[in-house]
Amino acid sequence: MAQPLVKKDDDRDEEADYSPFLGIEKGAVLQEARVFNDPQLDPRRCSQVITKLLYLLNQGESFTKVEATEVFFAVTKLFQSKDIGLRRMVYVMIKELSPSADEVIIVTSSLMKDMTSKTDMYRANAIRVLCRITDGTLLTQIERYLKQAIVDKNPVVASAALVSGIHLLQTNPEIVKRWSNEVQEAVQSRAALVQFHALALLHQIRQNDRLAVNKLVSSLTRGSARSPLAQCLLIRYTSQVIRESANNIQTGDRPFYDFLEGCLRHKAEMVIFEAARAITELNGVTSRELTPAITVLQLFLSSSKPVLRFAAVRTLNKVAMTHPTAVTNCNIDMESLISDQNRSIATLAITTLLKTGNESSVDRLMKQITNFMSDIADEFKIVVVEAIRSLCLKFPLKHRSLMNFLSNILREEGGFEYKKAIVDSIVILIRDIPEAKETGLLHLCEFIEDCEFTYLSTQILHFLGIEGPKTSDPSKYIRYIYNRVHLENATVRAGAVSTLAKFGAMVDALKPRIFVLLRRCLFDTDDEVRDRATLYLNTLGGDGAVVETGADVKEFLFGSLDIPLVNLENSLKNYEPSEKPFDINYVPKEVKTQPLAEKKAPGKKPAGLGAPPPGPPSTVDAYEKLLSSIPEFANFGKLFKSSAPVELTEAETEYAVNVVKHIFDGHVVFQYNCTNTIPEQLLENVTVIVDASEAEEFAEVASKPLRSLPYDSPGQTFVAFEKPEGVPAVGKFSNMLRFIVKEVDPSTGEAEEDGVEDEYQLEDLEVITADYILKVGVSNFRNAWESMGADFERVDEYGLGPRDSLAEAVNAVIDLLGMHPCEGTEVVPPNSRSHTCLLSGVYIGNVKVLVRLQFGLDGPKDVAMKLAVRSEDENVSDAIHEIVASG
Amino acid sequence: MLMAILVSNSAGNILLERFNGIPSEERLHWRTFLVKLGADNLKGARNEELFVASQKSVYIVYTVLGGVCIYIVGKDEYDELALTEVMFVITSSIKDACGKSPSERLFLDKYGKICLCLDEIVWQGILENTEKDRIRRLIGLKPPNPTEI
Repeated sequence: MAQPLVKKDDDRDEEADYSPFLGIEKGAVLQEARVFNDPQLDPRRCSQVITKLLYLLNQGESFTKVEATEVFFAVTKLFQSKDIGLRRMVYVMIKELSPSADEVIIVTSSLMKDMTSKTDMYRANAIRVLCRITDGTLLTQIERYLKQAIVDKNPVVASAALVSGIHLLQTNPEIVKRWSNEVQEAVQSRAALVQFHALALLHQIRQNDRLAVNKLVSSLTRGSARSPLAQCLLIRYTSQVIRESANNIQTGDRPFYDFLEGCLRHKAEMVIFEAARAITELNGVTSRELTPAITVLQLFLSSSKPVLRFAAVRTLNKVAMTHPTAVTNCNIDMESLISDQNRSIATLAITTLLKTGNESSVDRLMKQITNFMSDIADEFKIVVVEAIRSLCLKFPLKHRSLMNFLSNILREEGGFEYKKAIVDSIVILIRDIPEAKETGLLHLCEFIEDCEFTYLSTQILHFLGIEGPKTSDPSKYIRYIYNRVHLENATVRAGAVSTLAKFGAMVDALKPRIFVLLRRCLFDTDDEVRDRATLYLNTLGGDGAVVETGADVKEFLFGSLDIPLVNLENSLKNYEPSEKPFDINYVPKEVKTQPLAEKKAPGKKPAGLGAPPPGPPSTVDAYEKLLSSIPEFANFGKLFKSSAPVELTEAETEYAVNVVKHIFDGHVVFQYNCTNTIPEQLLENVTVIVDASEAEEFAEVASKPLRSLPYDSPGQTFVAFEKPEGVPAVGKFSNMLRFIVKEVDPSTGEAEEDGVEDEYQLEDLEVITADYILKVGVSNFRNAWESMGADFERVDEYGLGPRDSLAEAVNAVIDLLGMHPCEGTEVVPPNSRSHTCLLSGVYIGNVKVLVRLQFGLDGPKDVAMKLAVRSEDENVSDAIHEIVASG
Repeated sequence: MLMAILVSNSAGNILLERFNGIPSEERLHWRTFLVKLGADNLKGARNEELFVASQKSVYIVYTVLGGVCIYIVGKDEYDELALTEVMFVITSSIKDACGKSPSERLFLDKYGKICLCLDEIVWQGILENTEKDRIRRLIGLKPPNPTEI
């Protein structure tokens, strides 16, 4: 903040004989408020005291409950005075004090008297005050007067009642909704403001009734609203009606468009702008519809009023996202806005130009932006950098000039966020535009020569290690990387050592030179740097000769770690130094579910260096690897399918357990993922006792207990069942967690030697037919369906009963079958009465299955479905029907 | 919703503030933000020259009137153009109450009257009156001229 934020009266030096409120103190003013109790009221003096009280309140001063009550009671005495000026002040003061429900009663009778007064202005003000302080019960008493007031011939009284209605609608909607006849009458008022307020209230009352809003808009658009404000409201409600009747677009007959277009010629700028904006926001707006709106917005661009320029450029910026060509006509006006004094306008103009510019104008634009960048704040610069990134991806041939621009601004002053945005952009361009790679990498290398942000330096070094060795001349980057080892802090030095080692591992010709450099790092002052250098020198092998680095060494050094880091960290913490070395194979691989609060916002695309490294191999591969590493399950054959985890405990219980069902041809393995959430406990020998009495075709063959389950470190235990080969056997299993529990001393973290055996009941688990179907998509369903032939086609019809919606019925059947929805047919358009959904999958035994589901609404809610199945085996087609029939 | 109306002197000291729908713990943030906005942009500004800014989904229109700076914050239907209208009503009513563009002293002298004007113009975040002559009459509890209706 440039100026100190102090209260006016604290600033005494300069203002000593200046402010009428000099030295004002709450205590003293409250004392003065006693004049309100004088038998002979002095209106002038009382008004002055109220002004002081208002001054205190308007400066953020607050009164305690007792103080407020005292002032309120004193103020109510002022109703005795007939002085008009004082009465007006009293109304304001009561509103500002907002008395509590038990105090309101004191003033109610005075206000009610004013509300029925012959003096119009008393009525208007009393209505406003009463509605501000009243609650529901009092409101029913005064409702009659309020309804009369809405149609009062004095516009001030009517407006007061209408605006009160707008406020009361939030708290007492059922009462205000009863006034719609009066409000409807007020909409026809000759007084401009009354019409404006009535229109707002009527729309709010009827906003959920589409037909009523439609009627309101239809009747008003035929006439004309009496004020620009009401006209703006009407335009907004009209766009709402257009949005909701979007079905007419196909016929080329957009309702009310002519009205909006007509408003573009209104005399008030506010109305013109509102209409232009409404047109640009129409769903599926055509260029013919857009043109007149863009033309008026273009005129606003050269207005002398900054507000109009801002409004126009902001709207055009939005239009440019969806209809860039429509905005190109404004480019010349927009270019002159780059030098606008208002930086918000200038930034919006630039980002719009970057969206609408064509390939030939890029260079000219960049020249203009260069001058502009030096005098805007970082937050605006980031917006520009992001726009330039998009432009470069749009016109890859222009990468040279755009990359140069980014590297130039990278050298200039700027904060971390701004620099990170630039670096992220360069990284994305390097990844997406192969021709930009070498220059981009060199720009990054130059940047780390003089980079004050450790985070960015290490990230760039990491990126260089991945991309640098793949370039035509990797050796040119070595100098920049090795400079870091001399000039930077330990974190960056360690990063540089790793990057050097990557070059050594990937480029055999460079290996001898890399070895020389790595050996120098052995004398670094920092442990981590020395350790890394030692590790790389010992594992890269070849003793510095030009030899190929083994694939296993590369994998060991630079491969992705398929263990969650948090699990590795926990296991290392739990490891007790002993003869037995730490074994990374014992680290649990189960990814712990993130608590909800820590989850990142969904849908945000990771970008640039902040993007996570390539994820671990797919879940199925990971499961397969995990199961094959367990000797008991090694001879089960190929894993057919692994289900999504099914929770067996409720959230926030002592032990969290979920299960993954692994389906083999002749076996099923349950993988129980367990987490101990009690810090004072260590669980050992954890098993799940499974009762399969309701799953007759299954016989337990093996169980693999979990040796130890410390606090907050997930682990797994397994139980395997044999089942008839190739048969989709189903059944229900009840589960009991059994373990030995040992107390842990929270201060030392050590567990007691003796433990107690204990059990914990888990939810039941079912194996269903859908577990035997793999979700496998097909690229062209129609082709697949026809080539499959109708030999084993089975068709039948089913009634699904009453459903909330068609979409709900479709999703239920997809979930039941566990198949892959094709061609986006899982999405049901809103308000549809029929829908076709296409599914594909592979049934156990590697049999391809295709399903065509046709849904229709039968009556208001009942859903009927026609199911057609084609597969390579008639038994499988029948099985699919059985699933649906029994589901 | 008109979320805030704030008047400060040229040094950034708050003279008057009215918030609607902004919790008290966030008010300091707004005060600081607005005063900084003024300090950055209003130096050397012409009298009643309008400035505009947007912060996320909120719009701000601000100006200099004599010796005081006025800031209005709005959102939703109170966008930059609606705020311009509100600003026009406020500045013309203040000039009307003070007889001219007010110095800081004059503004404070007419403080009570200005509070009444604001009370007529904005009611709990909703624009109520827009005509300065009408407002002048209303604060004196006089009905508006029939010609003004």
